[in-house]
Amino acid sequence: MSNMNAVLLDNVCKSFGRLQAVDNLSVRVPAGSVYGFLGPNGAGKTTTIRMMMNIIRPDSGRIEILGDGKIEQVKARIGYMPEERGLYRKMTARKVLKYFGAIKGVSDRELVERVPRWLERVELADWVDKKVEELSRGMHQKLQFVVTVINEPELVILDEPFSGLDPLNQDLLKNIIIQMRNEGKTIIFSTHVMHEAEKLCDYILLINKGKLILDDTLKNVRSRQSAHTVSIELEGDAAFVESLPMVTAVKSEGNRLDVTLADDDTQQFLQALMQQARVKAFEVKVPSLHEIFVSLVAPSGVQGSASDAEDS
Amino acid sequence: MQRILKVAKREYIETAKTKTFIIGILMTPIIIGAIIFFTKAVSGGKAGPRPPINVAVTDLSKTLVEDIKTSFDDYNKRNPDRQFLLRSLEVQHDANSTEAQGKDKLRNGQFDVYVVLEEDIIEGPGKIRFYTYKPKPANVDAFWTIENFFRKAVENRRYEIEKIDQKLLARLRNVPLERLEIGAAGDKEKVQSQGQRIAGMMVPFFFMYLIFMGMVGTGQHMLSSIIEEKNSRIIEVLLSAVSPFQLMAGKILGLAGIGLTVMALWSAAAFAAARWQGLNVDVGSDLIVYFIIYYILGYILVSAILTGIGSVCNTIKETQSLMMPVMLIFIIPLMGWFKLVQSPNGTLARVLSFVPPVTPMVMVLRLSAGSGVWFVEIAVSILVLAVAVLIVIWAAAKIFRTGILMYGKKPGIFEILRWLRQS
Repeated sequence: MSNMNAVLLDNVCKSFGRLQAVDNLSVRVPAGSVYGFLGPNGAGKTTTIRMMMNIIRPDSGRIEILGDGKIEQVKARIGYMPEERGLYRKMTARKVLKYFGAIKGVSDRELVERVPRWLERVELADWVDKKVEELSRGMHQKLQFVVTVINEPELVILDEPFSGLDPLNQDLLKNIIIQMRNEGKTIIFSTHVMHEAEKLCDYILLINKGKLILDDTLKNVRSRQSAHTVSIELEGDAAFVESLPMVTAVKSEGNRLDVTLADDDTQQFLQALMQQARVKAFEVKVPSLHEIFVSLVAPSGVQGSASDAEDS
Repeated sequence: MQRILKVAKREYIETAKTKTFIIGILMTPIIIGAIIFFTKAVSGGKAGPRPPINVAVTDLSKTLVEDIKTSFDDYNKRNPDRQFLLRSLEVQHDANSTEAQGKDKLRNGQFDVYVVLEEDIIEGPGKIRFYTYKPKPANVDAFWTIENFFRKAVENRRYEIEKIDQKLLARLRNVPLERLEIGAAGDKEKVQSQGQRIAGMMVPFFFMYLIFMGMVGTGQHMLSSIIEEKNSRIIEVLLSAVSPFQLMAGKILGLAGIGLTVMALWSAAAFAAARWQGLNVDVGSDLIVYFIIYYILGYILVSAILTGIGSVCNTIKETQSLMMPVMLIFIIPLMGWFKLVQSPNGTLARVLSFVPPVTPMVMVLRLSAGSGVWFVEIAVSILVLAVAVLIVIWAAAKIFRTGILMYGKKPGIFEILRWLRQS
């Protein structure tokens, strides 16, 4: 299981009219990992996910899900939460879950046990016989998530799962995702909010305008971006720092100084400091995903000029 | 298949719970019953009072005025509150100017009716000229009565001249006839009432109407179901479990159940009502078989068209403009059913039998009208229908697949044609 690819995309292309939504994309999602699809609005995330679910068909290229090229046959083993999501407003939470469970091939007997268990898990147990239209937006989203995982799938695909959730419920959802990963399940989720990905992902896939920009483990992504910024705290006068040869900029952050270096030789910088002052704190700043994202995407323009690709 | 059935089951249960469905299933029989009841009540009621009608006559034959006056007087005695006032407009100088004068008086409202009896009306080819000016609809019935008085007067004069005894004529004309409907050998013979004959005429219409409602009546549910899933963004959640085709098939199947429920209930109600009225309606078993074949094919055809329409629209209102052309086709058999029943093998009936959306209605009408429709025609019409079903399902599945994920602007015809070309 662990050496299998949960999802395999091979040179996949898709265009809508003149818009190239996905451009020659190849991705392997290893089983048992948490994979983040990142990109600005209109990058082609939703289109890619929809192709993985056989909701739209690629113009060219090959897609295999859970080792099978015929996606319809493995849908029962997938939990997919689309970006455009909703539920039957006139049905009760229980009936909605029973229906979606049933069309995902879960037996009635299993559903009797699963429905209350999952509702308990997302703190909706008291709402089991309430109609969907009586639920608040946050509850609605949690119920939507339970609908997605009611078939206890091997592969969970979540398109913008955190939108519409308050911080408390976001944490609830993150904990469930981590738990599922620990159970050996594969989770793919798309987001354009970077700190969510940073906390959860093993792998990062960054796309922009349908093209792959980055596809690696989170660790590699971070280490590949060389660290040029160091946060320091010194005893006494720190004015000399600015005149050191390797320093290009100094910014004061309260007691600390954020120092930008000309290269990534932080050891040499530390030595230079130690010769002139007592060092109270010295921290090489790992660039945040947000910074990486901006540095990779920004030059070509983040503005959502192609944002309609997500909708079509 | 399992999933199609699950989708169908939900579709059936949730539709059966809607108010539209419950009202619809009850209202149609109630409305029909009410129409029959009131028609009966009205036709039995007495006509109310009516203002007198002024009738002027210029009798160029100069022999009939007295007779006509007598018949008018008789009528007025019997109907004191519905008088006809007759006056004679004598010829002053010449016939033409008198007639022109009479027409003027008609125009300025002095007369309601002006009648000219031509000179050779009795023995020659002369005519009765019956003038009216902007006649009121309420008077149509009265005009008819007046016409008959004039006709009868001419007729009676002709009998006199030919020396024909009217009593003798009446006796000769009277040929008693009793309509008897026999059952099995031991059963009592029943006198066939007028109602039985009318019921016989209504059976084909009933079957046609049933097929129509089964095909089109469920359409509203299909459209609102798709629009609801589209508007509340459920479609893509559904597509996480089923393919677009399974979703479409499930919907069609579930609403077929709705259609069959409605038809079964209405048939049972109609059958019970007929029995209650003492009418004996016999339906051949082969008709039932054909009915089912035509219904299933026709239903799939129409609902596939509707899934296509529903998938490209965002609101019920938008669907209506697309529904119009579809509905127009069904008007033809609905309006022309009487003609079609009387000549089930006429050109119109034959041509319509091969126009797929109306094939089921027309064929069931023709078959239940019951005079020798060729078997070849039946077979070919089923074949044509089946081919149409396949083509429409193919096209609808493609439109559905793309359309259900489209929000916002309704796609144009060229865009839809482009979807059809895509794999």
